[in-house]
Amino acid sequence: MNGIVSGFLLVSALGLPLLLAFPPLHRRLPWPVHIALLPAIALVFIPVDLCIELPWFLLGTGLGLDAGSRWWLAISVMMWGVIAIFLLPPNGRNVHHPLTSLFLLSLTGQMGAVLATDMVSFFALSTLMGYACIGLLLADADETIRRAGRIYLVLLILADIILFEAMVMAEAISEDLGFATLARVISLSNSLDLYLSIVLVGFAFKVGLWPLHIWLPLAYATARPATALMLWVGPVATGLLGVLRCLPLGEVSAPMPGGALLFLGAVTILYVIFFCFKRAQRRQQPAYFATIVTGSFVMGLGAGLSDPALWSGYGDLAPIFVFTMGLVLAIMIVSFEWSMAKGEISGANKVDRTLLESWFEAFVHWGRRAGIDTLPDFRALWLARRDGLRQKRIWQRAFDAGEYFLQRWSFALTLFLLLVIVTVVLLFLDAAAVL
Amino acid sequence: MNWNTALPLMVLGSSLLPGLMIFFLSEEHVVARTSLNLASAILKIVLIGGMFWGMLHGHHYESRLALLPGLDLVLRAGPLSMLFVLLSAGLWLVTTVYAIGYLEESPYRSRFFGFFSLCVTATVGIALAGNLMTFLVFYELLTLCTYPLIVHRGTEVARKAGRTYLIYTIFGGALLLLSSVWLYTLAGTLEFTDRGFLSGLDTSLHPTLILIFALLIAGLGVKAALFPLHGWLPLAMVAPAPVSALLHAVAVVKAGAFGIVRVVYDVYGIEFATDLGLTLPLAILASATIIYGSLRALFQDELKRRLAFSTVSQVSYIVLGIAVAGPVATIGGLIHLVHQGVQKITLFFCAGNLAETLGIHKISEMNGVAWRMPWTMAAFTIGAFGMIGAPPLAGFFSKWYLARGALDAEQDWVILILAGSSILNAAYFLPILYIAWFKKPPDSWPAERSFGRNETSWALLIPTVVTAMMTLALGLLASAPFSLLEWASQIVNRGFAQ
Repeated sequence: MNGIVSGFLLVSALGLPLLLAFPPLHRRLPWPVHIALLPAIALVFIPVDLCIELPWFLLGTGLGLDAGSRWWLAISVMMWGVIAIFLLPPNGRNVHHPLTSLFLLSLTGQMGAVLATDMVSFFALSTLMGYACIGLLLADADETIRRAGRIYLVLLILADIILFEAMVMAEAISEDLGFATLARVISLSNSLDLYLSIVLVGFAFKVGLWPLHIWLPLAYATARPATALMLWVGPVATGLLGVLRCLPLGEVSAPMPGGALLFLGAVTILYVIFFCFKRAQRRQQPAYFATIVTGSFVMGLGAGLSDPALWSGYGDLAPIFVFTMGLVLAIMIVSFEWSMAKGEISGANKVDRTLLESWFEAFVHWGRRAGIDTLPDFRALWLARRDGLRQKRIWQRAFDAGEYFLQRWSFALTLFLLLVIVTVVLLFLDAAAVL
Repeated sequence: MNWNTALPLMVLGSSLLPGLMIFFLSEEHVVARTSLNLASAILKIVLIGGMFWGMLHGHHYESRLALLPGLDLVLRAGPLSMLFVLLSAGLWLVTTVYAIGYLEESPYRSRFFGFFSLCVTATVGIALAGNLMTFLVFYELLTLCTYPLIVHRGTEVARKAGRTYLIYTIFGGALLLLSSVWLYTLAGTLEFTDRGFLSGLDTSLHPTLILIFALLIAGLGVKAALFPLHGWLPLAMVAPAPVSALLHAVAVVKAGAFGIVRVVYDVYGIEFATDLGLTLPLAILASATIIYGSLRALFQDELKRRLAFSTVSQVSYIVLGIAVAGPVATIGGLIHLVHQGVQKITLFFCAGNLAETLGIHKISEMNGVAWRMPWTMAAFTIGAFGMIGAPPLAGFFSKWYLARGALDAEQDWVILILAGSSILNAAYFLPILYIAWFKKPPDSWPAERSFGRNETSWALLIPTVVTAMMTLALGLLASAPFSLLEWASQIVNRGFAQ
């Protein structure tokens, strides 16, 4: 395919949504999110691998599309298309939505992350997406969703810092952060285990893997369908893509991290099934479904890390798996919304506690009682905590006092200054004598 | 005197002469004063551009005037000096435009703009200084020119801040003078030289050189706001917003940080400084300042005070980059000299816009202000994310090179400092953004001024948006030809043995 056309499409898949994110531009357009998606739609239907080098951009980067990322792009386009429909107000053409800019920034970041061919641009664009998503959550009127946004913000900051370290480490090892060579070079490094650990912890924060998933059900509790879909295609699916790109899957056998991932994935699935799924509100069920999908994906990654041959054989199915699950999730959310709009079901779904959960709560209750009964001054713990807080204030006062002292120490400083000036004069005289 | 020897003096004179002329203009001569200000700022950029072009084509620019027997006043254009001189001249232009709008109806504007121009003259002198004595002369001139700007408002608080500033900076200047003279008695020269001029001295002098280094750093550390010599900086935020921008981004703290770069690279030489064991204590001091400044910023409700403590923290990244003593980390330090300047000036412009338009001085008064002043707060958001180090903004690349350099130099602990600092940066900047964008605005603002359909005056808004765009461009185009990164790499290659 003509290089200019493919380059134009790749750049405009990011550039157009970014441009339209400016309110003066998208206010004047009908269906701005759909228009922003046009280059990406064209890319999905072009059946050849595309690549463009942008050596002047960031630390020297490129954009590209191969068979694997095409699946990701397809699910992204589909999801964003549905999101854009939910964004439209019922009367159709009055298209300005106050949060459209944030949606378009999320879209830019997410599309860019899919098309990124190196770690830095993936990181940069997925961070843009993450902060725009947080903006959408925090802008919601519902306090539960805002709380979810705040929790996700903390997790995202930690994830970004951890992944930053992973990138710095990867660059120190390979000198090239392109995904095409990164996995092979990393797999030969002595620091492989450390790198794997950092990457896995970073992405666990980013995608909300158990036990860091709490923000996701909170966000889904009362989120609009557009936000709910965006949370899947944005933080979760793009995070999964990131971990897929950054790990040397199929190149190296790492039984320890692989085993850990298998365990973590299994625990995630079991936890959600036994503790969460049944008692969740209907609106939250897609969030738990997303968590189960993440757990399954993580188990797949664990298997791939433990046995490279397995990944070489079946790894290509990973994007298809995410595509299919995304489709299921989209249908789930849309059908819930449809049913609720028709009044067939309500958002709430109060279900009795599971047996295991009741046991767990009884155990905690018993432990608390036992502690307070045997240690009547158990509340001292709270006092100690309060003291801790007071300590912080003391520190603050100490800082203030220190600066006040430094500022008021003018007399001593002036004396010292005089001493310095006398010394300088003496040294000048001495220097003149020597030279 | 030919073109090559005259040009550095012309660059200096392009702000000195208009500055002196402005003193003699009465308050009513608004057009003449504004024209002089803008013309001199543009002329300076043109002259510096010419000097830069000439340097790329192999010209050597140096002016030398006799100062003392054996000591000349030397102005010389080199890669490092051009980096600082371009930064200060570029930001001076936007700050001048901003100051014209900011002080539109204030008294004593001629005095203000006169000293403002002298400040930039001193900064350019610092940047182009070819030896430590020239550096010292302009360093002290900068102290004297900034004092009237800090006390410009004439209030008791401003005068107190000015006194504190003078005490600190004269103390720093005296230490610098002492150490320079001492160094001269030992080495017989103070000429800045690639890889330093002290490595050839007798080993018996090494303890003395260590002591002199400590004195130099203490002297320069006052202006660079190194802990515990930073006390003047948060107090000086009582000055008008353009002065704060000048102090924090263009001139004063940058002069201190630049001086440390000069001492480590061109006086001692990075390799000799490392051999003497000087860089590790400097790195520890910079790290302590980074964390301390961020911790202090967390507790401030006054916006400019929070930004001031943020400067204490951020300027030390430059020192840290130098002190890590590797080429890559040094690139990080040098590019942060520019990045911090551009980002911080954006933030101070925004603080000024909020104060001038709505009378907002405290973070607790900023509820929902982004819906009233969207362009200003969008610029603030870019500046704040840049400071946190979020990609693809300029600050990310500073942190990237610092961390990468720390790994190369096998000083992994620096990465923990950077990570901790990033968390603290997020902790003190993101709540501001949350309050501004997501909280409900009040029914009325503390002291609102109307600017018609615009959120504020164009003279205040345009420089703010321009510097925010620069923050974005410096990040996105980091690897473009003639980029800052390329330039910093060239400087570093001269400082390290190949």
